[in-house]
Amino acid sequence: MSMDTIRNSFDGDSSVLSWETWNRIKHTERFVVLSSVLFVLLFSYAFGRAPVVSDVFQGYHGLAMTILIWSIFALGFNLLLGQTGLLSFGHAMFFGTASYAAALFAIHVYNEPLVVVLVGMLAAVALGVVSALLLLRLHTVYFSIVALAIAQFLYFLAREPLVEITKGINGLDIPRVPLLGIVDLNHEYSGLVGTLLVNNLYIFIGIFFVAVVALITRIRKSPYGLIFKSIRENETRTAFMGLDVWRYKFAAFLLSAAIVGLAGGLMAVNTQFAGVERLYWSVSGDIVVMTVLGGLGTLAGPVIGTFVFFYFKGIVNGFPTLGNYWLLLLSLSFTAVVWAYPDGIWGMLTDFTAALRDPKELLTKTRQRIADLVPNGGDR
Amino acid sequence: MALLETRGLTKEFGGLTALDDVDMAVEEGELVSLIGPNGAGKSTLINTITGQLSPTAGDVYYAGTDLVGMKPFEIAQLGVGRSFQTASILPELTVRENIQVASFAAEHGSFRINFLRRRDSFDAVQEQTNEILQTIDLDSKADMDARSLPYGDKRRLEVAIGLATDPDLLFMDEPTAGMSPTETEMTVKLIGDLLTEWGMTIFLVEHDMDIVFDVSDRIFTLHQGRLIARGTPEEIREHPAVREAYLGGGEEA
Repeated sequence: MSMDTIRNSFDGDSSVLSWETWNRIKHTERFVVLSSVLFVLLFSYAFGRAPVVSDVFQGYHGLAMTILIWSIFALGFNLLLGQTGLLSFGHAMFFGTASYAAALFAIHVYNEPLVVVLVGMLAAVALGVVSALLLLRLHTVYFSIVALAIAQFLYFLAREPLVEITKGINGLDIPRVPLLGIVDLNHEYSGLVGTLLVNNLYIFIGIFFVAVVALITRIRKSPYGLIFKSIRENETRTAFMGLDVWRYKFAAFLLSAAIVGLAGGLMAVNTQFAGVERLYWSVSGDIVVMTVLGGLGTLAGPVIGTFVFFYFKGIVNGFPTLGNYWLLLLSLSFTAVVWAYPDGIWGMLTDFTAALRDPKELLTKTRQRIADLVPNGGDR
Repeated sequence: MALLETRGLTKEFGGLTALDDVDMAVEEGELVSLIGPNGAGKSTLINTITGQLSPTAGDVYYAGTDLVGMKPFEIAQLGVGRSFQTASILPELTVRENIQVASFAAEHGSFRINFLRRRDSFDAVQEQTNEILQTIDLDSKADMDARSLPYGDKRRLEVAIGLATDPDLLFMDEPTAGMSPTETEMTVKLIGDLLTEWGMTIFLVEHDMDIVFDVSDRIFTLHQGRLIARGTPEEIREHPAVREAYLGGGEEA
């Protein structure tokens, strides 16, 4: 996102050739992955400690880690909604279940952060197989609602009947142990590494973040990326081309569950805790808001949406007076953005940077937008 | 043996009989047309053969395989392609991507685990996509979003998707509907090419009688779900039942 702006300020009226080069580069896998590495390197610092910038954000390191994990969650959710067009209102089931699986494994079997996270992921995939068999028979709103029902079922199951295992509303505590038996996740660095990354836990989470970005970029560039979009656009047509739509949806569902499960496992390690609230329906709702706010079907969108959401929840929330209205303010921003830009904040930014290259285009587009909005604005 | 054969194909919706005991056979390499007034059951017939609807009674054989009970994607994989009446394209994808999806289905089958391989590394798919783009003359618009194509081009893309599934038998549902005379001419020429150069068998549903009588080897006439006549264009033109049912009792014909 910032790269676009930086480049703009360097060569505002550059030749067409360099824009073409840029357009080619920005879609390459290497560029996307390098950008995500750079993002991880700078995010916590810019958010919590950098002069001036952090004064604006007023963030802190702990929240930066939370945002990275939820970004993974949103990226996994977006694979299903944005790419394949399946709207699940029950994705908390994968987040919460993975968290529990990670915690239970750590407490009863073997506690090692990497193994624990992977166990969480596998548990989410297993749940994905079962729930997909139920859900993929259903379409549109029925799919969404039954997903919600399954998640709520698991929530109540974890809360009361399984209280012996889950400790109900008290949740499970996981002792922190060294990664692979040697790397202390709490270890804080000094110098440049300390300034940028602070501790090993952040690096641990950051590596998973980059890996997920790389995985999703590859999926998007694979035949699956295309076939998922084809299913989203026209399921019947896709079937008549000779593609087994059910199996591709199943694959999308499991990939999504795996990535969300990874986030759930990381959350358990990060907070040293797993609790029933991660299965609650509002978690499923929050992730929809984050993804749609940031920009459906894009890579940067869910990450931006997650950031904005937590900025309101974690920072605006603390403002005097205004803080009491953080949810209202978030709702208003959400409505305003999605009303004007159905493609979310990322859509707004790309529109804007594209327009900067061509101010005339911006003017006509803005006029068009206003003309579109006034008579029948609410139709999206 | 006929490439496609239906035996006693019947489809009822509640009390309504949309297809009534339809027996027909399509030989390999021929172009047959299906005509009939609105509501005659033409779309029902295609939908029943291609697996979108399951018949109430009867059988459908394609190259000796019974298609009844098979899913649309399985029938498509056998080599039965279809282009739709309304442009049933993928609007948010580019023209190239629209064709590419079908090419993947043709090259890789109904499902394959390859989500960690970039799609530009599959050369055969890329080649097939480019070949189709040239055949349909859409290569200059390959990178446009499909939704921004003019109407006639959307219809041609629709046919292109059908072609890209690499069928042996292609159902074309009113391919020239809404096209300009020039576009219609191009489509008719394309149909000729598909028969001669691509060696396809074509099953055409068309309202434009000039085209039907011009290109067809044989014509089936459907009326109220029954096949009332079949034969060469000359035979159909003179067939009393057809004139009665379809050409308006002969007065206007």
